[in-house]
Formats: sequence, C-alpha cells, structure tokens
Amino acid sequence: MATAIVELEISKLPPEITVEERYSKALVLIRLHGKPIGQALLSVVGGGIGGDELRETLMKAAGDNLWKNLLYETLEWDERGSVEVLPIATVAVCTRDRPEDLRRTLDALMQLPDEGQEYLVIDNCPSTDATKELVKNYPQARYVREDLPGSSAARNRALREAKHEFVAFTDDDAAPDPNWLRSLLRNFSDPRVMCVTGLVMPLELETEAQEWFERYSPHGRGFERRVVDGAHCNPLIVHLVGVSASMALRKSSIDYIGLFDEALGAGTPTVGGEDCELFARILRAGYCIVYEPRALSWHRHRRTWEELRKTLQGYGIGVYAFWTRMFVINREFSVPLLAWGWLWYKQIPELIASLRKQPDAVPRDLLWAQLRGCISGPMAYFASRKLLQKMKGSNE
Amino acid sequence: MENLTVSIIIPSHNRSSSLRRALDALHLQTYPIDLIEVIVVADSCIDNTLAMLQDYKARFKVQAIEENCRSAAIARNTGAASATGQLLLFLDDDIEALPPLVESHARVHSLRPGSAVMGPYPPKLHGGTTLFEVEVRSWWEEKFYQMSQPGHRFTYLDLLSGNLSLDAELFARLDGFDSAFGNCGGEDYEFGMRLLKANVPFVVAAEAVGYHYEHETNNLDRSFRRFRQEGRSNVLIGYRHPELRPILPIAAYETACSLVDKIVVAVTFFCPAAMDWLAVGLRQSLDVLESLRMRGTWRWLRAKLRAYWYLRGAIDELKSRSALSSFIQGEPAGADLGRHEIEIDLQEGWEAAERIIDEKKPDGIYLSYGELSVGHVTPKFGVEPLRGAHLRSILALDFAEPLARAIAVKGMPKSAAHSEPSLVDNTLLQNLQLFTVLEKKNLKTSS
Repeated sequence: MATAIVELEISKLPPEITVEERYSKALVLIRLHGKPIGQALLSVVGGGIGGDELRETLMKAAGDNLWKNLLYETLEWDERGSVEVLPIATVAVCTRDRPEDLRRTLDALMQLPDEGQEYLVIDNCPSTDATKELVKNYPQARYVREDLPGSSAARNRALREAKHEFVAFTDDDAAPDPNWLRSLLRNFSDPRVMCVTGLVMPLELETEAQEWFERYSPHGRGFERRVVDGAHCNPLIVHLVGVSASMALRKSSIDYIGLFDEALGAGTPTVGGEDCELFARILRAGYCIVYEPRALSWHRHRRTWEELRKTLQGYGIGVYAFWTRMFVINREFSVPLLAWGWLWYKQIPELIASLRKQPDAVPRDLLWAQLRGCISGPMAYFASRKLLQKMKGSNE
Repeated sequence: MENLTVSIIIPSHNRSSSLRRALDALHLQTYPIDLIEVIVVADSCIDNTLAMLQDYKARFKVQAIEENCRSAAIARNTGAASATGQLLLFLDDDIEALPPLVESHARVHSLRPGSAVMGPYPPKLHGGTTLFEVEVRSWWEEKFYQMSQPGHRFTYLDLLSGNLSLDAELFARLDGFDSAFGNCGGEDYEFGMRLLKANVPFVVAAEAVGYHYEHETNNLDRSFRRFRQEGRSNVLIGYRHPELRPILPIAAYETACSLVDKIVVAVTFFCPAAMDWLAVGLRQSLDVLESLRMRGTWRWLRAKLRAYWYLRGAIDELKSRSALSSFIQGEPAGADLGRHEIEIDLQEGWEAAERIIDEKKPDGIYLSYGELSVGHVTPKFGVEPLRGAHLRSILALDFAEPLARAIAVKGMPKSAAHSEPSLVDNTLLQNLQLFTVLEKKNLKTSS
C-alpha cells in the first residue's frame, strides 16, 4: 500500500485532489505562498479527497504555523533579522556510483535561480566513468574526483575546492526545491551561525521499506525554525539539529572547528555519524546551528527492505562511532549516559512493543539491525581510523 | 562633506604590548591621517608603557598623559579634556582597529550629527572551547548582532565605551563620565543613561569593527571580580537614577525565591567572610566540573557564583540588609507619572503607525485595531523612546495572537492591501476565513 506525495498551496486549495489508484494514503506538504508550513497524512478513499474535510484537516495540521506565517507576511517581518544581500555560495554534491540519482539531483539544482552560485560534483572513489560522463551534460557543474573513500573525505574536498565562503551540501539521492539555497543562506547574517540544515521530505513512498523509513527515522525535523545555540545547550544532543543531506556551512569555521572526521561517514567502516560529529564540534565551540524548514529538499529513501535494514544498522554504527570519538578523543564523559538514555527510553520500549506485536510497533528485524549496529559501532570507529591511516600512508 | 577632526582616546593600564598593537592598527586607517590625533592616558602604569610611547614613531600626533587614578572613567575624562578634535573616539587598548574604523565613525556622524556611535568589537576569533571562553565569546557576538538589527531598541546597557565616538562638545556638555565610579567600572552604563535622558540617539556603525583581544587578559577569576564590581557600580547607578532601581539585578535579592537562596542571602549579610571562603571553594569545583564536561552543572554553579559576587559588590556599597531593602524600596513615588503614552489604531496600516511613532517618540503605546484592543506597550525606564522601526518586531513577538485575531475580524490593515494587491486580492478572503478558524479554535480552548 503505497503513499502518494502531494504538495498543496493552502491559499489556493483545489476543490479536490486525486491520486493514482494504487495509493491508499497521501502525504501532503502544505505550503503557504511557497513556504512549507506543515504536513498531513490523509487516507484516500476512491482515489480522491476534497472539500471542507481536506481544508479542515490541512489547517489543523498546519496549526499555529499558518496564522503566524500569514501575520509575519502581512507585517513583512522576518525572525531571521534584517534583509541583506544574500552571499554567493558553492553548491556541492558528493556522489559515488549513483549516476541515475545524481541526474535527478543535478536537474533539480539547475532549477535554482541563478545567483552566481558555483556547482561542484565530488566523485568519491568511482568504479566507473559514468558520473564523469553525466556531469559533462551540465556545463555549470565542475567535476572533481576524490580518491580517498568516504563521504567525509568527499565533503572535505568540496570545502577545499569551493570558491565561496558558504558551501551548501546536498546528497546525490536528494532533489532540492528551487528556494532551497536562498532559504539556507538567509540565516547566515548572524555571525554565530556556522551551519544551517534544511527540511527533508520523502521524494516517494512507493514501498513498505520507504514508508517505514519515513515513519521510523524521518529526515525532516518539523516545520518550526530552530536555533541550536552551543553556548546554552548540550552539544552532544544533535539528533534534532538536522541532517547533512541538506545543509550549508560557513567555510571559515573550519579554521577553528576543523574539517569532517574522515574516519566517520558513508564509505568507511563507520557508515555514518560524520554529520553528528561536526554538529557536536560546532556546538562545543559555542556557535549556533539553525534548522530552517523553509529550505526544502526531497530525499529518495531506500526502496528495498534489505537496504532499509542496512540503513538502520548503519545508523546504529554511525551514532555509536560518533559517540566513541567524542568519548575517546574529545573526552566527553557523559556519552555513556546518552547511550543509556537511548537504550532505556527508546530502544527497549520499542523492542518490547515489537515483541508483543503491538499495532504500529516497529518490525523486529529493523530494531535488531539497529542494535547490532550500535554494538559494532565503537570497534568500527577504531577499525576505520586504522584503515584511514593505512590508506593515507600508502598515498604518500 | 567636510571631514571632522578626530581625537582617539585610549586609556591603558600596564598593557604596553597590547597598546602597541592598537597604535599600529591605527596607522592603517583609511581616514586622512592628518585629521587624527591619538591621546594615550597611561593610568598607574608600572611597566614600560611610557618608555614605549616615547620611542613610538607615529605618523599621527600622539600625546601621552600620565595619570594615577586607577579608573577608566577618570582616564577617559582626562583624555577628553586635552583633546582638540571635533569628535572623540574612545578606544580600548586591547582592540585592534580594522582599517575603516575611524572613517565609519566619522561617516555616521556626518549622516546623523549629535549621536553616540558605537562600533562592534567582537572577540578575536580563536578556537577555544573552554566553557568560559564559549560563554564570553557568544555574549559579545550576540550583543553586537542584536545591536546592529534595525529594529533593536537601545537600552542604557548598550552603551559600550570600548569603541565609542561622540561630539566633543556633547561630551563636555554632559560632563563626561562620572568619576565617582572609580575603579569599579559601570561608568559607561551610567553615561548611557544620561545620554538617553538627553535624547541622544545610539547608532551602530556596522563597519567600524575592531578585534577585541579580550582572551589575553580575561579569565574566570577576573570575571568574578568584575561581577563584584558590577554589584557596586549598580548601586551607584541606582543612586544617580532611582527610577532604574526596580530593574537592576539587585532587586532580585529581596525576592529570592528558593529557600537555599534565602539562606545564602541571609548568611552573606551575617558573615560574608564565611561565604567568601565557600565561594572560593566552589570556584575550584568549576574546574572539576569542566574537566568532567558537566556543562549543565557548570553553568548552573557559575550563574550562582556570579550572582553571589554581584551581591557581595552590592553589600560593599550598601553595608547592611536594611540599607538594601530601603535602596530597592526607596524608589521615589510618582516616577511613573509624566511618561509619554499615545494611542495608535493599527488598522490604519503599519506605515501610518510607524510615522506617528517616529513623530511623537512615545514611551508607551495603547494598540488598537479598529475598535478592538490589541495590547499595551508599557513604558520602561532606561530604554530609548519608541521609534517606528521597533513596531513590527514588537507586534510580531509580543502581540501576534491578539493582532491576528483582530485582523480576522476586521480585515487587513489599509496600506498592506494597497502595497501588494495581487497577493492579497486572491487570498484575502481566504486568509480571513483562516483567521476566523483560528478565532473559533481559541474561543473553544479558552472556554
């Protein structure tokens, strides 16, 4: 039972929306004059929904966001401070052997209004020339090959290659909205903001695996703009900050915060955690990260169950590898508390619900996969460091 | 445009190398160098400051004055007294000016004569991640960011004297900084209060940036000493401007809420030596907390210690508990009278409301929308009068709900409909319905 993805402008609602027969539900992204302000999951009967019911559901789903945004628009007031000229940015896509997905990303990027931004495609350790050939079709994009495997190595390369102070990253399986870059950049007028992350919505929910992913670990972090201030928060609690599939960095920040940890991230034994680790380091240094829901991007989740299981396992490895690094290198001794909190308040209750076969419980194999990942995370981090040293040694 | 002559006044106390860096930076200014004179007031220096100044080869006129007062207020006044420029620019000795600093100050003065102009001096960026460094750096950066926002409403606490310029004539007319503050600091806030009372506008010159090398001299222990000084100087400010007493942090000690706080306050008056000893001990545990990365506890304890030293400072001036009580309650009756308040109908449009505010410069506003009441912007002490630029953030942050409800009932304000017809025409009706939905919802929850 697949879910259709629908976008609706709440100021111009159609009398009815129709979706294809095979969909039983619809995930509606609600926009107000283009700005995402909420989402609603509707069940579709006979291929369509409409009328007052639709309107009421959507309004309820948007909640306070609706009238607040309308009021701010009327006032021409913006919580992000005074309007300045937006800076020019570099947009970087890091990819590895996924030309089909990358094509969609690049097509979407070409829809961004041209404000002089630079496009970089970082091809990480490719096994074929397909990506290189594909990028030739996009004359605006510069192709760069990075042979050290791992998304951190690729991102670090992007930061080194970028011409501009602000570097926006999108994953190769994401498709940013035309307003994405502008909305991200609009938040950098505050000098303490080192990083801005965006809202990530599912591009499609065709398979059960994709629906479960969106339910269990969605990339979106809600429709409320949030400033996470390192001077006042616990820098290790970063899961609410956002995801690196849609984010922008202030490049000069690396002078005092440092680059991505190349032992973490997809393409290394740790599979992930590199974004959490960078967020934590930004916050530890007392700077801010903004979550900006107006910067919208669409992410294609993994389609098969096997891939989903692997993703969740990788998530477990990544988080624990990140914590291991924080514990061992940054001497953050509260890490075991966090691990305990996650286990006690989330993982164990989920597992019990699943074992009792409660309705809506997360499938057991997914939970086991994640737990297995957590257990292997610390060792993965050390293995990854060793591997990295060996590879860097052999390159010299 | 005629260029103003600028006297840069740098008070300094035993920091000859940092002073040299400040002077070196002034050589790179984009402003005509023959219009600049620099006056260094060496206050009780026992290092090689004076010798350094004697040997210093400058392309501008440098005047060195020796003082023995241990007071930045007096040092600045002394410097101002022997300044010959039309403009006084007070600069701290640990600030490295960027090349456009002086020019930006002068430009803002030619655009808005008679104002107090401040340039940002954020801490020189450094990667320090100790909790103290993080706290200090984020405080400064946040402060300058907020002050540079067009809708910012300045208070007397925004008068920072590290990178401040004003007319020499104005400074003399106001009798400069209050020398009674001696070495306890806080004379800049007091001066800010007098500037506000004299209706001098505060302006931020965004390009007049200097880097502040605060991290070279600042540390936790020093910051606690400063809080003690702040407690003292706040009492002095309260004496000079009694209307500020209720909003000074001292007022909080009368109404200490938790039992522990009450006991601490009581014991502090009874036997300050014992509490000092305890505070010094707790200060050591901050380092332990830091090494364990217990941020939450560190921040909590730091705030408590800070409040303690502040109270100790207040006690240094006030001596006894009864003096504290009468200090706080001694606010003269009738201070609230004579505040300038107006009524504004927002339905006439935001622009119209902003114009009225700019014209009348009120302290408080009764906001209405048609015949509906929206709220009351209460008059405050120690802040600049309201300007039109403040209106929209006040409405968005403090009156969003009642305003939205009023719009739902009465329709869009006048000029907004005028300025963006296409957007509003199509959706106005619908918007209003949405607002009505909101109103229904709120009525339900309230009943």
